[in-house]
Amino acid sequence: MTESQFKAARDLPSNHLLGSGTAMCAGCGGLGAVREVYDVLGENTIFINAAGCMTLLSVYPFTPFRGSWLYTAMASAPAGAQGVRDALDIRLAQGTLTKDEDLQVVVLTGDGSAGGMGLSATSAAIDRQLDFIYLCYDNEGYGNTGQQTSAATPHGARTATDPQAGGLPGRKKDLFAIWTANRPAYAATALAAEPLDLARKIETARDLTGPRLILTLAPCPTGWGFEPARSVEIGRLAVRTGIFPLKEYIDGRVVHNRIPHPRLPVEDYLKTQQRFAHLFEPRRDEKRIGEIQAAVDAYWQEVEENNA
Amino acid sequence: MYRIRFHGRGGQGMKTASRLLGTALFKSGLEVQDAPKYGAERRGAPMLAFVRADRRPIHERGTVVSPDLVLVADETLFQVPVAGVMAGVKASTVLAIASQKPENVWRDRLKIDSPIYVLPQSEAADDEIPDVSALIAGAAARLTGLVSQEVLRQAVEEEIAPYGPKAVAFNLRAAGEGFGAMAAGEGSVGESLDQGADSYDKPDWIDLDLDLAATAAPNVYAAANSVLVRTGLWRTLRPVLDPENCGKCVWVCGSSCPDGVIGVDANGYPDIDYQHCKGCMICVVQCPRHAFAAIPEQDAAEAAQAAQMAQMEGTAS
Repeated sequence: MTESQFKAARDLPSNHLLGSGTAMCAGCGGLGAVREVYDVLGENTIFINAAGCMTLLSVYPFTPFRGSWLYTAMASAPAGAQGVRDALDIRLAQGTLTKDEDLQVVVLTGDGSAGGMGLSATSAAIDRQLDFIYLCYDNEGYGNTGQQTSAATPHGARTATDPQAGGLPGRKKDLFAIWTANRPAYAATALAAEPLDLARKIETARDLTGPRLILTLAPCPTGWGFEPARSVEIGRLAVRTGIFPLKEYIDGRVVHNRIPHPRLPVEDYLKTQQRFAHLFEPRRDEKRIGEIQAAVDAYWQEVEENNA
Repeated sequence: MYRIRFHGRGGQGMKTASRLLGTALFKSGLEVQDAPKYGAERRGAPMLAFVRADRRPIHERGTVVSPDLVLVADETLFQVPVAGVMAGVKASTVLAIASQKPENVWRDRLKIDSPIYVLPQSEAADDEIPDVSALIAGAAARLTGLVSQEVLRQAVEEEIAPYGPKAVAFNLRAAGEGFGAMAAGEGSVGESLDQGADSYDKPDWIDLDLDLAATAAPNVYAAANSVLVRTGLWRTLRPVLDPENCGKCVWVCGSSCPDGVIGVDANGYPDIDYQHCKGCMICVVQCPRHAFAAIPEQDAAEAAQAAQMAQMEGTAS
């Protein structure tokens, strides 16, 4: 692979392709990632949008995109991507589309679709080695409809459908592991709060062919309960506490490209959000905080053992 | 029938205010409808909620177009045409405005004869968008004269209970404050008759003129035409740069802005597009030199207006 065009933060694009004026919430952690993905991939990109928050990016007659956008039902974005990729390939073969006019096919999906009803179509697309990028903005719940529990909601978080004292009893589904078990061309986790890391990963994904995952954590002021101004700070805390590991799967191997050191206690992250407030008030829930910390510790211990 | 409309911004709790008032009126023996009205709008965006109450079954549906009481949680909404705060307001409509400006200022500004009550805003709001649902609901309850303080208390306890005892205590206090502040206007809201379909004004879109049509139906093939949507209207705080403190590291604020509305000006300073900035204040927090200040939108707008006036006077003399 050639050397990255993004050596330092100052190399990040300052003119943006994605238009402003979208209906995403102020401080949306998902929008920043989409904006950067678009900047790095360029105008020759078509987005296949699974129903979710990002449905509202393009509400007729307005669009923030400079090209096409295909809207699909929640379960069928990868199938939509297959149709678009096939059509492009047919036209390339016919010679009615030049190589320069070819489009990068990107599925844009939330975690509700990605970890739930869209999973079957995604799995099948990877089986077929579909040449596409799968961009997931993971705000850990059905954010567009009032933050109900999704497959990606973390243990202990309170949601509209898990309002009980302890929050969600279940655990977050590991979409990255599901993808890598399917041996894709590429998979990475990233987030808008670490824009340089994100830009490099999109760059890597851009230059590969086959199924490629970019899984971004999307801090959600509305659904997680925090002031929009803290969105970037909370994203960084997710990385620094080790809750959200930054990693890449390339050439059949998982590489952690940011091992937090020192790793901050998980409560530094949990405390910033209303959905975890019940862990601290009216009294500290040592048991649950301990469980969350232990799970993160175990994860990183395994990483260290594998690296040793 | 009593028709009551609440205007606020997403996050101020107007949906909850309409629910609290609706429940209180229901408990007072009336038939009730309560509903919020918003679309794809988000936190900070203008929205409304409404309540209908009657002693007989209610057959009317849809948004309240001819209100008997209008409550305004954020006074800056009067300047936002799409908020439609004054839509259908008649001489008998009672207005209650959360504001630090006195009643006579509002009478001057709005140029109407309707009764106007000002709901004093408490100073101690740390939140960027304070939740004033119970305050406004308490005020509305008193103005209708249909709800006792005891029934209001029951309604707040019942509706807020799922959010825990701390939230209940806060909202009970706020509801009491709103109820108390409107003593002078108790029962001033009158009932208006059922309206036949023929009494409704013709919807304004029937005579859409060409200019409006051009905005309402932009070229759908144009790239990034979402810029025609002015999301700057959502803002309650404005990030303002102090160039003296700015280190021109524009990639820091620029890449932290989710909406991508921070560009670079000819001198290398960050340049915020206020037409679209939603006021999330991430740039204010992320700037390593603290070069951005968060100015309340109203103060910023008034300062800009004053500067414009001064300039005009300067040109005239």
